[in-house]
This record gives sequence, C-alpha cells and structure tokens, in this order.
Amino acid sequence: MRFFLLLVFFLSAKAWACGYCVEDKIAAVYEHAAVSRSLAGGRTVVFFAIDGELPPGAAASAKTRARIEKLAAAVPGVEPGSVRVSVEAAALAIAYDPKRTGLAEVQKALERKLKLPLLAMQVMDRPGHLAAARAR
Amino acid sequence: MKHACLLVLAVLLPACGPSAPTDAYDLSKMDLKPVPSKVTAERHTGAFAEGAALNLGAELKPLDPSPVKTIRLDTTHKIIEIAPGVKFSAWTFGNQVPAPTIRARVGDRIKFSMTNRSDEAAPGVRLTAAPMMHSMDFHAAMVSPQDKYKSIAPGQTMEFEFTLNYPGVFMYHCGTPMILEHIASGMYGALIVEPRNGYPTKVDREYMVIQSEFYAKAPPKSDKAGIYTLDGERLRAAQPNYTVFNGVHNGMVKNPLAAKVGERVRLFLLNVGPSKTSSFHVVGTIFDRVWLEGNPDNQLRGAQTVLLGSSNSAIVEFMIPEEGSYIMVDHHFANASQGAIGLVSTAAKPPATELEHHNMPSVEATPSDAEAARGKLAFESKCLACHSIGQGRKLGPDLAGVTKRRDAAWLTRWLKSPETMLQTDEHAKAMLKEANNIPMPNQNLSDAEIREYIKYFQWYDAQPKGAVGAPMAGH
Repeated sequence: MRFFLLLVFFLSAKAWACGYCVEDKIAAVYEHAAVSRSLAGGRTVVFFAIDGELPPGAAASAKTRARIEKLAAAVPGVEPGSVRVSVEAAALAIAYDPKRTGLAEVQKALERKLKLPLLAMQVMDRPGHLAAARAR
Repeated sequence: MKHACLLVLAVLLPACGPSAPTDAYDLSKMDLKPVPSKVTAERHTGAFAEGAALNLGAELKPLDPSPVKTIRLDTTHKIIEIAPGVKFSAWTFGNQVPAPTIRARVGDRIKFSMTNRSDEAAPGVRLTAAPMMHSMDFHAAMVSPQDKYKSIAPGQTMEFEFTLNYPGVFMYHCGTPMILEHIASGMYGALIVEPRNGYPTKVDREYMVIQSEFYAKAPPKSDKAGIYTLDGERLRAAQPNYTVFNGVHNGMVKNPLAAKVGERVRLFLLNVGPSKTSSFHVVGTIFDRVWLEGNPDNQLRGAQTVLLGSSNSAIVEFMIPEEGSYIMVDHHFANASQGAIGLVSTAAKPPATELEHHNMPSVEATPSDAEAARGKLAFESKCLACHSIGQGRKLGPDLAGVTKRRDAAWLTRWLKSPETMLQTDEHAKAMLKEANNIPMPNQNLSDAEIREYIKYFQWYDAQPKGAVGAPMAGH
C-alpha cells in the first residue's frame, strides 16, 4: 500500500511537479556506456530514489555506496555490472531482464536486501526513452 | 450639435494631456502563462545551433524583429583550445564555448529546443568525456524549473517556451548536477533582452564579452592526444588556471574588437564564473554609462570598473577618444594574468608594442609538450616585465639561448633561490653587476613550475632561428 501511494505521488505530475529532483537523481547515476550496454541486451534500466536515511560524510558515503552496490548486484534479476549508486543524490540505477521478471518484483527484492525503501522514478527500455516507472 | 461637439471634446481632451507613466514592471501585464515542456526521443540532426536571433561570436547582429524567436541549441562534447597548445575536453551548447549569444527583447517569445547529442562522436576527434545527461537553465525565464529545466539523456530532445518579461543580459547554463562541473566544462551563454522600446542611447559598435574560468588538468605523458580534462580538485578549491574572455586565453588580444575614433562602443558583459568575481575595466576610457544587469533602469555614470559576481552582468558604453588599443581587463590582476584580457582597437591589427604595458604575447608558435606550454604561459604572465626572449636585454638578460649558456641544474638552482646563488655563484654575481645591482627576486616557484620554465626555454632554443616570434617585453 505504501509503495502504491509513493508511486502515485511520483506519477502525479500535477500534484507534485518533482521532475527536477527526479531528473537530477537520474543524472547522478546515469552512465551512458552501462545504459547502452543494457539496452542493447534487451534489458530495462530502472532508476530509483533511495527513500531511507543514508549516513552523511564523504568516507561514509564511499563505504555506503560500495555496500549498496554489492548488495544490489546480488539481488536475483539484477543484471550483473549494471548497478550504479549515488549516495549524495540518494539514487540507484539497475538493469533487469523484463522477460524474466518485473519491476515490482525487482524493487521488492532490492528493498528486502538493502533494508531501504525505494521509489521507482523512471525506466528506459530503448535509447532516449525515459518513461515514468509503472509496475510491470 | 453643440452637445455632440462637447461629447467629442470630452472624449478627446484626456488623451491629449500628459499620459500617465506606464509601469514596465507591472506584474499583471507580464506573460506568465505556462506551456508544459515536452521531452521526446526525436533527435535533431545537422547543425548544433539554429535561430535568427543567435550570434556566434563577439560581434553582435542587430535585433531580429520577429516577436517569436525559435532557438535550437544542442549539447555536444567537444575538444576546444582554451590557450595555445591547451586542448580541453569541453561540454557545449551549440558546439561552441561560450555558447551562442541570443538577442531578443522584452515581450518576445522564446521557443527553445535542445537535443542531448553528447553521445555523437565529433569527426576525427577522440572524446574524453562520456555521454551524460544535460539540461538548460535560462536565467531570463520565469518558469517552473521542475518542468522546464529537467535533465535529458543522450538522444532525447527537450522543448519549452517562455516570454521575456525583464530587460537584461542573462546567463543560461546547464543545470544538471554537478552544476559546477557542467559550467566549468563550458556549458554557458548569454541571452540579451533589450527593453521593449530599445536602449536609450545610440552606439556604433556592440560586442558580447563573457568572462569564465577553466580548471584544466594536464594529460599524463602517456596520453599522446594531449587532452586536458577538468581538474576536480582545482574546481572545488576555486583555483582556476585560466580565466578568459569569450573562451580563449588572451583571445581578444590576438583578434581585437574593432572601433574607430569618436565611436561609441557598447559592451554586453557577463561573468559566468563559475566561482570568481570580475572587476571589469577598460584601460584608457571611462564608462559613460553602466547598466547593471543589462537593464537601463539600473544606471551608473562615469564609472571606471564594474564588479560582477558569478552570473552577474552589465552593459557598459564608452567613447573611443583617439587612435589606440583600449585594453579590456579584469582589474583583479591575478585573473588578468590567467588570460582575462582583450583589446578594443582602432587598428585592425594593433602593433605588438601596444601590448607591452600588459605583458601580452604576440607569438603564435607554441610548444606541443604540456609542461613547456605551461612554462610559456607562466613566462608570458610573470617574467616579461624584466626579461625578453629574443628581443634583447631589458632589466634582466634576454633569455633566448639561456639553455645553451647554462645547464638545467644551474637554471634550477637559480630559479629556486636566486639570493643564495648571488652569494655563492660567480655567474650570478656577474649578472647582478650587469643589472646595476638590481637582484632577481625570488619568485617562490615550485619544483614543477621551475621544470616547466626550463622546458619552455629548451623548446624555444631548439626552434630554428626565426621560426618563433618573441613574446612582447613588459615594463
């Protein structure tokens, strides 16, 4: 229920025009080479906002990033090598195979593993097409 | 009939009297009607910049009278030359740094579109910056940043529109985090908004001058392409190594802005920073008018210098009193010595001697080695007051041939501690005598800087005679 509410919150642009923040978070974890590789392999790239509290400070930031990257990479369905994390922007990008799993499943598994709530912001399933994230 | 005449008079008379002053800043009359932005995957191809209101260089075209300005500025990643031999990996709007200047007036509608083409390889050039997301932030617009200034991915196109409500000279820049990096990499330009009824003065020349900083890191020796990249440490510490007008170190010294005696010149100034202020001054003249932020309602008269913080602007106007080259300079001379200098000249190509006072170089040839190139720039900025290279003795010796007269170890000791050498070394003592006992001051150079100077002197001495012009001697 909470996820549904958050998703509605993100998707209702008129109620909350948060495009700026969303795009900035995406920019922080957008790595063109990784995105291009994933899309070429038929994967879907999804950009999440990390909704939980992250430890402040540069040293903590590096540690936290490494920890999240490791945990996220171990989640079933997440494409190996596709995880990108920005602690400063509180954002996470991963790619998954839409033939094998769906966004909702991947998100649930990530949240369980990371022990952090995530907000799916936008997805990309072909080059240049960023679209609002919807449970698939 | 009588009543009819009186009625006509009653209607006409008020219109003949002094009209009530209109408020140019009446918010209720401003166009704030939002039109949602549009993001698509339809890519622009062909030219990176399009629009009749665009000006690609310093010289400005007259205002395009069309009330709707259609502007296209695509983002690219490109190698630019910010100083002789310093090729820098830049990010651009319209494939140039600074980006084209847009000229419009209050009430005009700007219809803007931009494709993120940072993933397109420039022909023949190796890109060093990976494609990334970019956005556009127009300071001249009154719009929701959440809607209009969204970042777009490579291959996406953003379109939005807005009406210009205030006159001024406004910055535009990429607003994608880290914004500091995007601006320092070259993503900025100016949007000139003229007052609805034009400027209150007439001028003969109009130029755009944009001051900016570069934070360039030299390539490793193994990098044969020799591309400088953004130096993150310098950037965060606000320690640029180039501060320039219109994107090029000393660029408008080599290509001065033209003006004739008796002409009135209008400069549109914008300091984009990202982190330094500008104390803009023109040697040899006084600003008859200064319009802070480019708005004639913010007027100063008889000003010598204009202080511009990051993203501040001004319009300055001055007369050219006699033949000569009038030196535009950031009077914060640490910035000027990094390249923030230019000329407004009555001669198409000013004689090199005119630059003497400001220690500017006139050479075109430049070392390809990065260390030697840095040594050359440092020499031209700091040493020409007392030395020449190939132009004869000044207060200190002519440094042409210095690496043939002294070896690198001696030069290193000398540059490191001239005061010690003057007590212990016979050559140094003889030089002091030749200089009428005026000692060479210790410049507090680092080992790396000393190495760069020597590399430059070695390069100079290795050139065939006459192949390299001499930098101008200073005062």
